[in-house]
Amino acid sequence: MIVCIAVVGHQNNPLYLQSFTEADDALKLHHIVHCSLDVIDERVNNPKKTGSTLNETYLGLLYPTENYKVYGYLTNTKVKFILVTTHLDVRDADVRNFFRRFHSAYVDAVSNPFHVPGKKITSQTFAERVSTIVKSFGLSSAV
Amino acid sequence: MMLAPSETRMVDPAKTFLGKMLLEEITPVVMVLRTPLVEEACLKNGFNFVEMLHPFCLFKNIDVPVRTASDQPYRLHKFKLRLFYASDVRQPNVEAAEEQLKQVVVHAAERDVSDLHSDPPELESVLNQTKPEALPSWFKIFNKELIRTLAFSEHEAFDHPVACLLVVSSKDEQPINKFVDLFNTNQLPSLLNDGAMDPKILKYYLLVHDNQDGTSEMASNILTEMRGTFGSNDCRLLCINSGKDGSEEKQDNPWSAYKNDVPLSEDLGCLLNVNDLNEIKDLMQDLSSKHIIPHMEQKIRMLNQQVSATRKGFRNQIRNLWWRKGKEDTPDAASGAMYTFSSVESQIRVLGDYAFMLRDYELALSNYRLLSTDYKLDKAWKRYAGIQEMMGLAYFMLDQSRKDAEYCMETAFSTYLKIGSSGQRNATRCGLWWAEMLKARDQHKEAASVYFRISNEEPSLHAAVMLEQASYCYLFSNPPMLRKYGFHLVLAGNRYYLSDQRKHAIRTYRSSLSVYKGNSWNYIKDHVHYHVGRWYAILGMSDVAVKHMLEVLACSHESISTQELFLRDFLQIVQKMGKEFEVFRLQLPITNMPSLKIIFEDHRTYASSTAVSVRESLWQSLEENMVPSLPTSRTNWLESQPKYSSKKYKDSSICVAGEAIKVGIEFRNPLQIPISVSGASLICELSARSEAAASEIGGQYRDSLVSVSRQQNDTEFRKLVSSWEQNSSNSLFTLSEVNFSLGGGETIMVQLSVTPKVEGVLKIVGMRWKLSGTVVSYQNFDSDDAKRKNVKGRRKGKQSSSKNLEFVVIKSLPKLGGCIHHLPKRVYAGDLRRLVLELTNDSESSVKTLKMKISHPRFLIPGSLEDMNVEFPSCLERQANCRNSHVQANTVKGSNSCFSFPEDVDIQGGKTLLWPLWLHAAVPGSICLYITIYYEMENVLSEMKYRTLRMHYDLEVLPSLEMSVQISPCPSKLQEFLVRMDVVNKTSSENLQLHQLSSVGWEISSLEPDGTICPSELLMDGQALSFFFKLKNCRKPLTEGSITSARLLQGSDVSLDPQGSNEVLFDISSSVLEDFYHYERLHLGKSIQGHQTTVDFILISQSQVNSVNHEPGWQSDSTQLFSHYACLCSIASTSPVWFLMDGPRIVSHDFSISFCEIRLRMTIHNSSNAAVSVRIDTSDATSSTVRLSDVAAASQYSVSSGNQTGWRDVSLVNDIKITSDVSSSLISKASSPDGITPFVWCASSSTRVELESMSTTEIPLQICVFSPGTYNLSNYRVHWDLRFPEDKALGDGSQQSSGISPGHPFYLNVLQSP
Repeated sequence: MIVCIAVVGHQNNPLYLQSFTEADDALKLHHIVHCSLDVIDERVNNPKKTGSTLNETYLGLLYPTENYKVYGYLTNTKVKFILVTTHLDVRDADVRNFFRRFHSAYVDAVSNPFHVPGKKITSQTFAERVSTIVKSFGLSSAV
Repeated sequence: MMLAPSETRMVDPAKTFLGKMLLEEITPVVMVLRTPLVEEACLKNGFNFVEMLHPFCLFKNIDVPVRTASDQPYRLHKFKLRLFYASDVRQPNVEAAEEQLKQVVVHAAERDVSDLHSDPPELESVLNQTKPEALPSWFKIFNKELIRTLAFSEHEAFDHPVACLLVVSSKDEQPINKFVDLFNTNQLPSLLNDGAMDPKILKYYLLVHDNQDGTSEMASNILTEMRGTFGSNDCRLLCINSGKDGSEEKQDNPWSAYKNDVPLSEDLGCLLNVNDLNEIKDLMQDLSSKHIIPHMEQKIRMLNQQVSATRKGFRNQIRNLWWRKGKEDTPDAASGAMYTFSSVESQIRVLGDYAFMLRDYELALSNYRLLSTDYKLDKAWKRYAGIQEMMGLAYFMLDQSRKDAEYCMETAFSTYLKIGSSGQRNATRCGLWWAEMLKARDQHKEAASVYFRISNEEPSLHAAVMLEQASYCYLFSNPPMLRKYGFHLVLAGNRYYLSDQRKHAIRTYRSSLSVYKGNSWNYIKDHVHYHVGRWYAILGMSDVAVKHMLEVLACSHESISTQELFLRDFLQIVQKMGKEFEVFRLQLPITNMPSLKIIFEDHRTYASSTAVSVRESLWQSLEENMVPSLPTSRTNWLESQPKYSSKKYKDSSICVAGEAIKVGIEFRNPLQIPISVSGASLICELSARSEAAASEIGGQYRDSLVSVSRQQNDTEFRKLVSSWEQNSSNSLFTLSEVNFSLGGGETIMVQLSVTPKVEGVLKIVGMRWKLSGTVVSYQNFDSDDAKRKNVKGRRKGKQSSSKNLEFVVIKSLPKLGGCIHHLPKRVYAGDLRRLVLELTNDSESSVKTLKMKISHPRFLIPGSLEDMNVEFPSCLERQANCRNSHVQANTVKGSNSCFSFPEDVDIQGGKTLLWPLWLHAAVPGSICLYITIYYEMENVLSEMKYRTLRMHYDLEVLPSLEMSVQISPCPSKLQEFLVRMDVVNKTSSENLQLHQLSSVGWEISSLEPDGTICPSELLMDGQALSFFFKLKNCRKPLTEGSITSARLLQGSDVSLDPQGSNEVLFDISSSVLEDFYHYERLHLGKSIQGHQTTVDFILISQSQVNSVNHEPGWQSDSTQLFSHYACLCSIASTSPVWFLMDGPRIVSHDFSISFCEIRLRMTIHNSSNAAVSVRIDTSDATSSTVRLSDVAAASQYSVSSGNQTGWRDVSLVNDIKITSDVSSSLISKASSPDGITPFVWCASSSTRVELESMSTTEIPLQICVFSPGTYNLSNYRVHWDLRFPEDKALGDGSQQSSGISPGHPFYLNVLQSP
C-alpha cells in the first residue's frame, strides 16, 4: 500500500504531501519525506551516470526506513516526487510506471494558469487524479 | 615497523580516536592486593593506594625493547598499566553501572544549562565548527563508561590480570606472613578462582613505609627479609609521606587530571614530596618495563610454541577439524564455560590478546583467525563474536583491508545481537568501536547508521545519546546531510524526554531548529517549537518558552484541535508568568500592512468616510477652479512658519490639532478558532513645537540607525514599548482603544485614531493590542515600507500623503461639518424635491467666502436662501406676480462654474448654516454625487488659509415615467401641429398623477374644445397612456434684441387634470424648474435658444403616496413632485415652407351642361428666417379616379378629429417611416399612367411667388372636372428655394436650402346635380 506521496519543489519546499492512511501520522511522514531529500541530494550530486542513465529521472529506492520503502523521482525542473510505501517487494517497473503517470498528472496541474509556480498545489482535480493513480498502483502490484 | 606503518595511509590508526582509545583501554591489568594499613597511609593524602599510583601508570616515553614471536625486535615507547583492586576485578554491578551512566548524562546537562537561555546555534556556525569542537566532550566519557560496564568478562582475556601487586605496610605485624595471606585468601576474583584464567600469575611484592611513622630502618630490615623469602627481584620498598604537612607545593598536581569530579583540594597528595613522587615513578617504570612486559613477552613465546605445536601445520588442522566435527551435536553454548584456562582455545585467546596489548597486531590477528573458526564450529557464539571484534580492531590497527575490518565488526555486531540479551551490551560496545572505526575513516554516514542500530538495542537514555551521536555523524559527513541531522536530533530529543532528561531534550530539539528554519516544513517546525516551548515551561523558563510558542501560533495549516492545543498551552504559559507578556510583532492576529490606510484632514476635510475613499483626482478635478492653486497655498503657510520649511518636514503631511487622524488596518485571524483582541491602539510620538526644532538632529540620527537587520527588532521593540509607556503618561494627544473579536479565518478592518492636542510634529510609530487579555503585542509600522512608498508617492504627487506617518500638527482651525438632510437613497426618475444642506462650524472662529461645487448639476443644484422659507411644492405654482428675479442665476449656469454663497454668508463659531438644495432625479441609474465646499478662515493669521469640505452621496434613481412625443404637422391648418405624447409608468408600485404638460416657446392646447385631455389622470404602474395636443408656434420673429428676454421661458401649459384646469398649474419659469430645464438642455449640448423646429416639453406629475422613502423625518404624506423633460422634440416636417390647399369639398354640378370649374386657394407660409422662392407645379397627366379603397386608406391621413380610437401604439420613429411610405406610395400611384385624366389643372401650370420671412401669401388655383366622382387633388409639387442674405449663406447645415414637397392629399367630391 502506498502510504504517502509528496511533491517537493526545487528549493526543497513541500508543494504537495498526501497521506493515504487513516492514522494521524502527518508529522512522521513529513519527517520521512524531509529526510529522504538528503538522499536525493546525495544521488544528484554524486551521479554515477553512464550513457544510458544520463537522463534518467527515476532515482530508485532511496532508503528503507523501519517499515517503509522510499522511492524518488526527479523531474527536469528539479522537482522531486517521493513515494513512501509499505510494500516490501515492489517491482521497479511498477514504481517507474507510477512515477510516469504521476509526473504527467503533476505537469497538468502546474500547467493550470492559476497555479503559482513554487506554491503549494491546491488543485482538487490533481488530488483526485493522484488518488486514482495510487489506487491503481495497489491493484497492479497485487496481481 | 608495525607500530608506525609508513605506507601512504591517510591517518596513522594509532593516532585516531579509536586507536588512542584502544591503546588506553586494552592494556595489561595489574591486580592490587593490599593490607588496610597501606590504605590508611595513603588516605592521609586524600586518596587510596591505586589512585596514588594511577598518574604513574601511563608511560609516555619509555623505551622497552621487545621481540616478536618470530624474534623480530621492536620497541615500545608508550605503555599503560591498569591497576585494580582485587575486589574490583569482576563484572560491575548492572544497576550501579546504569546509575553511573545516568550521572554522566545528568552532569552534562547541568553543565549545559547556561546555554539553554541563549539562542540556539545558527546552522552556519554549526557547519563551520571543526569537528572535535562541535562534538560535545561528554559523549566520549559516556562511551567509555558504557564500554567499562563490560569489563572483566570471561570470554575475553585482555581484562584478565597480567600481574599481581601485593602491598604490605611496614607497620603491619609479620609483614612476610601478610604477603602470603594476601594472595591466599578467598578474596581473589572469581576469574582466578573458577578457572577462567591461570592462577599462576606474576607477583610483585611491595612494602610501603610511612615516613611519618619513623625512619625507614625497620622497613629496610623487612625488605631484606622479603628479598630472602620472595626473591630479590620481585621486592621493593616504597617510602611515602616524607614531606611536611602542607609544605610541599607542587607545580602541577599529577592527580588533578584524574580526579576532576572532586573539587580540586590542596591536600591531594599533600604529604608527598618530590622524592616520594620520583620513587613512585621509578616503582611503576620498574614494574612495567622490567617485569610485566618481559613477562608478557615470555608468555607470548611460550604460548606461541604450544599453539604452533598443537594447531599450526596441515596435520594439526586436519586433526582439529575432525576432532571438532565429533562435537557437532553439542548444544549451543553461549556462555562457553567449557573453556578453562588450560584449554587450547583459551590459550590462543590469551596469546592473541597479549600480542595485541604489546602491539604485535599481526600475531594477534593470526591467532584470532585461528580461533574464530574453532569457536564457530563449536557454536560458542559469544566468544566467536568477541574474536571477530578483536579481529576487526586488529585489522584497523594494522590499517589493512578496511573491508575485512568492517566485515568482522558487522559479524561481531550481528552475532552479539543473535545471542539475545546477554550479548546486547557487547553489541553496543562493538558498535561503538565500529562507529569510531568508520569515523576515523571519514565514513560518517555509515557510522551514523551504526549508531542508529545501537540505539535500537539500548534503553531510551542510552539510545538518545546514540541518536545524538548519529546526528552529529550526519552533520560531519561530506556533504553534510542536514535533514538527517535534524531528524536524528529530534529522535534523540524524544528519547531524552522519555528518560526524563528535559534539558537534553530541549538542547537537541533546539539544535534541530536550525535545520528546519526558513523552509516551509511547517508540521515539523511546529512540532519542534511546540515541544521546546512546553519543556521550557516545565523547567520554569517561561520567557524562552513563550518565545518558542509564539512561533507556532499562526498555524493555519494544522487541524482545529491542534490549533486549540497550541493556543491554550501558549496562554497557560503566559499566565504562569503572572504578568502581561509583551511581544514584538505577534503573528496572531495577522496584520495586513499593505492595507494600512491613513485618513487625515489638512485643508481637505471630509464629511463622511465614503467621501474619503473617493479618488483624490476626482476631487481635484472638481475643485479645480474653486480653490487657489496648490503650490501657492502651501508656500503661504510655509512662509509664515519657516520652522517647518526644513527638508525634514517636506514629506510630512499636515494635520490640525484637535482633529483625529484615523488609521485603518486589516486584522486577519489565521486560525479556525475565534480569538479576542482588546485595547488596540496606536503608538505615537508627538514632539511639541518648541521641542521639534531641537529633536531634529536627534531625529536624523535615528533615521540613520534604521537598518534592516534582525537585531534591530529588539531595539525597535524596546523603543515601541518605551514610547507607549511615555504615551500613557503624557497627554499631548488622545488615542482611541478598540476591542474586537475575530471568528475563525475572519478578516476585519479596524480603525484606530489619534487626536493631537498641541502643535508640533506627530509621528505614528506603530500600534499595540492585547490578545486574550494577556499577551500584549507591539507592532511598528514598517518605516522602510513607508519610506519606499513615499519615494514612489513623490513622483505621483499628492498620493504620498496617504502613507506618510509623520505629520506636522498645526494650530487648531475651524472646520465645517456638513450633511444633506433627508437625501433619499432611492428616488424615482423625475423626482423633484427640496433638500437642506447643513453646515456646522464647531470651532470658535468663523469662516467666510463659502463656495460650493456639485459634480452633477443636472441632479442637484443649490437654491437661494428664499427657497428655505417658502412652501414646497406650492411655491412653484403659478402666481400672478411671483416672478423670481434670478440675480445670481447667471453664475449658476455652465457645467463647470461653481456656486458662490452670497458675500454676507459666513458661519460664526458654533453656528449652523442651512442652505436649500434642489434635487431632481434626471435619469434612471446610479449616481454618485460629489459636493465640495470651499471656505476661508476668518482669522488670516492661521497657517491654512482655506479648507474644503468634501461630501459624497450615492443616489439610485429608479425609472418612473417614460415620455415620448411625436409631432406631426396638422394637415388642416397652417402653423399648427399635432402632438402625440405616450406616457408609460415604469415604476413597480407607484401610481402617478399626471398634472400638467408645458411646452417651451410654443403654445400648447388641448384638442378638445372644453380642455379635457383624458378620462383618468392617474397612471397605474405599468400602465401606458397616449395624449394628443395641438401645438402652435407662438414664437415671434427673432431679432437681436430679443435674445436677452428669451431666457425667461415663454410657453404655455396645459392641465392634464380630468377636472379641467381647476387646479393651479405650476410655473415652469419658476427658478427651480427653469434651472433644471437649463441643465437638461446643457446636457444635450444645446443652448436655450433652440432651433425653431424643435419643441421642449415639461411633464409634471405628482404622487400622493410615498412608498419609496420611509426615512425618518421625511413626511410621507406630502405630495411628491415629478418633472420630466423632453427636449428637442423635432417637428416632423423639415421644410420651412408650409402650404395648405383650401376649397370646397363637395361640389354639385350638372355635367350634362358643361364641365365643372372649381376654384381652390393655396395658402403658403414661410416659417424660415430667410426669404424663400416658391414654385407650384401641377401635373395633369397622371392622376386617375381614386377608388374608394384609396379613399379609405387615405382617410387616415386626413382625419383631424381629436378622440379617435384604434390608434396603434407605435413609436415615433415608426410613425415617421409609415408616413413617408404612404406619401411615396401616393406619388407612385399618381404617376401611374391610367387612361384619361378626369380633371385638369387650369390656369398656369407653374406658379412662382417670393415670400419674405415669416410671411403668408395666398395663391389661387383652379381645376376643371369633367365627370362626377371623388378626386384626390394631390398631384402637384411645391418647389421651394431659400434665399439667404449674402452674409449668412447656409448658416445652418441641418437646414436644407431648397427642396420639393409633394402635394397634400385633398379630396373633392363632385356630384351630378339633379
